[in-house]
Amino acid sequence: MKEKCPRGFDEALFSGYLDGELTQADEQLVRIHLEDCDSCRNRFEAMKGTREVTMSTRFVVPRDDQWKELPRTPGSALARGLGWVLLIVWFMVMLAYGLWQFLTGPDGLFEKLLVFGVLTGLGLLFLSVLMDRIRAARTDRYREVER
Amino acid sequence: MDRMIAEPLPADREREVVAQAKSGNYAAREALFLAHRRAVYLLALQLLGNPDDAMDVVQETLLRFFVTIGRFKEESPVRPWLMRIARNLSIDIIRKRSPRRIKPISEDEEMILDPPDPGPGPEALASRRQVQRRVWSAVCELKALHREILILRDYQDLSYREIAHVLEIPVGTVMSRLHKARSCLRELIEESPGKGKGNAEREEP
Repeated sequence: MKEKCPRGFDEALFSGYLDGELTQADEQLVRIHLEDCDSCRNRFEAMKGTREVTMSTRFVVPRDDQWKELPRTPGSALARGLGWVLLIVWFMVMLAYGLWQFLTGPDGLFEKLLVFGVLTGLGLLFLSVLMDRIRAARTDRYREVER
Repeated sequence: MDRMIAEPLPADREREVVAQAKSGNYAAREALFLAHRRAVYLLALQLLGNPDDAMDVVQETLLRFFVTIGRFKEESPVRPWLMRIARNLSIDIIRKRSPRRIKPISEDEEMILDPPDPGPGPEALASRRQVQRRVWSAVCELKALHREILILRDYQDLSYREIAHVLEIPVGTVMSRLHKARSCLRELIEESPGKGKGNAEREEP
């Protein structure tokens, strides 16, 4: 069970005190309380110790020669986005045109069923991926984080 | 505190460089890139736990910043703005990861954590390293909401005001959320190996 201050002190102020983010009045309030309350003082000291560890932790950073260069022009991102849009539009138009030609063409029922089977298979595969995505979104580790 | 910013620019100089970058000066953009790439990389690495993904986030963050730099106010500090972009991009990457490929962030900690500075002796060094690993493992187990605020404050050294800007929340919320994160972290550390599971939060894999 998590310990609480027996006097009901607002413990969130401890973090502000630790980080030097309180007003002078609040800072004094915390200092006086910590002098008086053993329970809070112990928790504060533990928190302070952990903070010292986190702030002294160092992470591996790439060497100078390992960094990628700055992309020459931001326009390349726009061109890439536009390229994708055009490609998708082209694909949809071609697909619709091809289907129309096929359905109204002279092919027999068997050929049409074959193509229908392939397209249905692809559609089901796409659906399964979509369902995976929906399931992943439901268990999203960041769902509480606002974008 | 060399771990945070490699080549920071003084505020006045940064304003000048931003103004030049806005007018399309490539050298100014490169100067901003050099000044901030390390901090952006570290944030992405701490959120994602993967150096390759972190490197991609650096590229994409700076690219997006330069695409929208026309709307950026010169008097604003660049770093919190970049941190916000990098944080959102990191979340996007986590969301895109297949559910089957999600792994604990701490799995690759050998590639992530740098050995601490040599202290009084090898034993002290080993002990300090062990404590840092234990704390980092506990950080990785926190809920995403708590992990990110703790990283922004204790590993990235941002002020409450800057964190509020990055997360788009009030400063008061920063303090209460951070305190909750620190309390949960403390509980996780206390219950780590040999102490059994308590009530502390633990992210489901």
